[in-house]
Amino acid sequence: MSGSLLLQSLILGILLGGLYALLAAGLTLYFGVMRVVMIAHSAFLILAAYLAWYFNRETGIDPLLSLLVTVPLFFVAGVAMQRLLLSRLRPATLTMMSVLLTFAIALTIEGLLGYVFTGTQRRIQLDYSGSSFEVAGANIAVVKLIAFGLAALSLLGLYLLMKKTRFGQALRATIQHPEAARLLGISTDRIAGYGFGIGLATAAVGGTALALDSTIYPSLHWHWIGPLMAIIVIGGLGSIPGAAIAAMLLGVTQSLLQVPMGTTWAQTVFYIALFATLMVRPQGFFGGRLAQRF
Amino acid sequence: MIGPRNVRQLTISSAACIALLAPLGACGLDSGNGEGGDDEIVIGISLPLTGDFSEPGKGVERGYKAWAKYVNENGGLLGKDVRLEILDDQSSADRVASDYEKLISQEKVDLVFGPFSTRLVVPAAQVAKDYGYLFVEPAGAAEEVFTQGFDHLFYAAPAVADDHYNLLADKILAMPADQRPKTVAYASMDDPFAMGTAYGLKDKLEAAGVKTVVDEVYPPNTTDFSSIAAQIADSKADMVVGGSQYQDAVNLIVALQQLDYQPKLAAFSTAPTNPEFPKAIGDKTEGILSPTGYTPEATYQQNQEFVEYYTELNGTAPTEDEANAWTTGEVVAAAVEAADCADPSPECQQELIDYLREATVDTVVGPLSWDAEGRPESAHMIQQYVDGKIRIVLPEDQAEADFIPVKPAW
Repeated sequence: MSGSLLLQSLILGILLGGLYALLAAGLTLYFGVMRVVMIAHSAFLILAAYLAWYFNRETGIDPLLSLLVTVPLFFVAGVAMQRLLLSRLRPATLTMMSVLLTFAIALTIEGLLGYVFTGTQRRIQLDYSGSSFEVAGANIAVVKLIAFGLAALSLLGLYLLMKKTRFGQALRATIQHPEAARLLGISTDRIAGYGFGIGLATAAVGGTALALDSTIYPSLHWHWIGPLMAIIVIGGLGSIPGAAIAAMLLGVTQSLLQVPMGTTWAQTVFYIALFATLMVRPQGFFGGRLAQRF
Repeated sequence: MIGPRNVRQLTISSAACIALLAPLGACGLDSGNGEGGDDEIVIGISLPLTGDFSEPGKGVERGYKAWAKYVNENGGLLGKDVRLEILDDQSSADRVASDYEKLISQEKVDLVFGPFSTRLVVPAAQVAKDYGYLFVEPAGAAEEVFTQGFDHLFYAAPAVADDHYNLLADKILAMPADQRPKTVAYASMDDPFAMGTAYGLKDKLEAAGVKTVVDEVYPPNTTDFSSIAAQIADSKADMVVGGSQYQDAVNLIVALQQLDYQPKLAAFSTAPTNPEFPKAIGDKTEGILSPTGYTPEATYQQNQEFVEYYTELNGTAPTEDEANAWTTGEVVAAAVEAADCADPSPECQQELIDYLREATVDTVVGPLSWDAEGRPESAHMIQQYVDGKIRIVLPEDQAEADFIPVKPAW
């Protein structure tokens, strides 16, 4: 491997890792807030990607502006989903049943996307989709940098929200000890609903970032959910910084391994890391015992 | 405990769910009795309408449906109406085998047409062989289709995968030494058809001393091509060849553009002939090459009728997927007319097979005949984006535009 290829792969890996981090952030948040395994997260990503594509096709305006609509829309959808569907599951079997419920939601979204937009594979055509600039002999694609920027901004926003606001305190209290939070007067149901909404809002941002630089089709979400699940387990379920760090590490590792090992074997890095984590440190590297803290 | 209010809300949400799902069920499941009466011929088909191959699968479906409609409007087959029984195999090889099993043994369809792509054609053809059915297929072009001992299979297109780039290979090897590419990077999907096309070209170029500098194979579910693109860009190969389907070629091309890699020649199978391709790549398609077994511009009489009919029906001109599906219909129809039968009996199916073994059938892709394993014995044309439109550049006697030997920057 030549030096320039190494540098290029490293940069691509960091950009990819940033995107993974954003896509995984919501997933780990749902689990943290209410022990829900949200299989439909990646389906919502693809839904947001389709909305960005549709917005761009109909209006010709930059797809990033679709965020103004999709982020609030997804937030409301997330709150509604938590209040109307997930909160009805029995707490004792919540985690398991949430897999079934969200699996059904994922299938519904995929089916509706196929019904409305057909199975034709789409791509947003941007003037700058192939543009890049050179840094020390390596090329950085503009669209990838935008996606990375969106990821960084969203994660920073999420971090500030969790750490600096009263709502964030209440959310973390709900994650850490729901009963104690209720005793302190926190309406944990309402807070959990908002937490879920925020998780889904990150899917709107992630999906739009994804749409900038990939070809989308309704069944694409199945390719994403596996790696994303691996990331949040490795990072520690419920831990957003854990997910971000795990995503970055796996993104870079995958990108670097692709050169000597080929694409097929490089993809297995997620699952090898997942097995290793479950054997060595099943609670993940950043979460507490099943992620009791943020 | 669930109070009455909760029960009502639960009912409302399940009702909403059912309401959402109902149209999907209605569009996805064509249930019905396959066994035809005396007045109709039922043709059983399984296609990848969802999953990895849904894009070309739907193209094939459009072609089959248009063909059936055309036949029915023109007196039917043996005076009977044709009815298609189409199942969705979800791009799964297990599913496609059970689909054909169901169509043949339970629904007792009169004829079967093949599914899309080698990975699905092989298991499907095996089922048809077990029941002695004629199996004409629109899209199983890889060599392994023809090495399974199938004596009932015919591929309804001009050439098998390994021969798709033959005309381009001849053209490259005929170039003066200073213009000929010296190094080539290959990236191919781990799929028998896609690999067949790229490796068919690779074998020919390597034999003539053109050096292979990158040889990458990626799984069909790959969506991130930046690392593969980085290796190709790093190799600075004179030419890049993609053994591709659709989204892989598009994503790879954009990733190559992002790394500012500028090859002299760039060839990708399948994707560039897709009408969605220029919408995805924009104005940077100039000079991209692709082999094609079909173009609406071909002057065969059947083709002109087909293009006119199809365009009127669907509003757009047909692509290769639709044309190969239509060709499948034409080939089977020719056999049915010649043998004067279309029923599940082994005698009739054998007569159909025996006829095609010897026949030459005029189709929308020209006259087709087959060798003993079902390989068609024609050649693929090479198309290239010239002045923003995809045009035939090889062979020279059918060319619509001149071959561009050095691709403009993308």
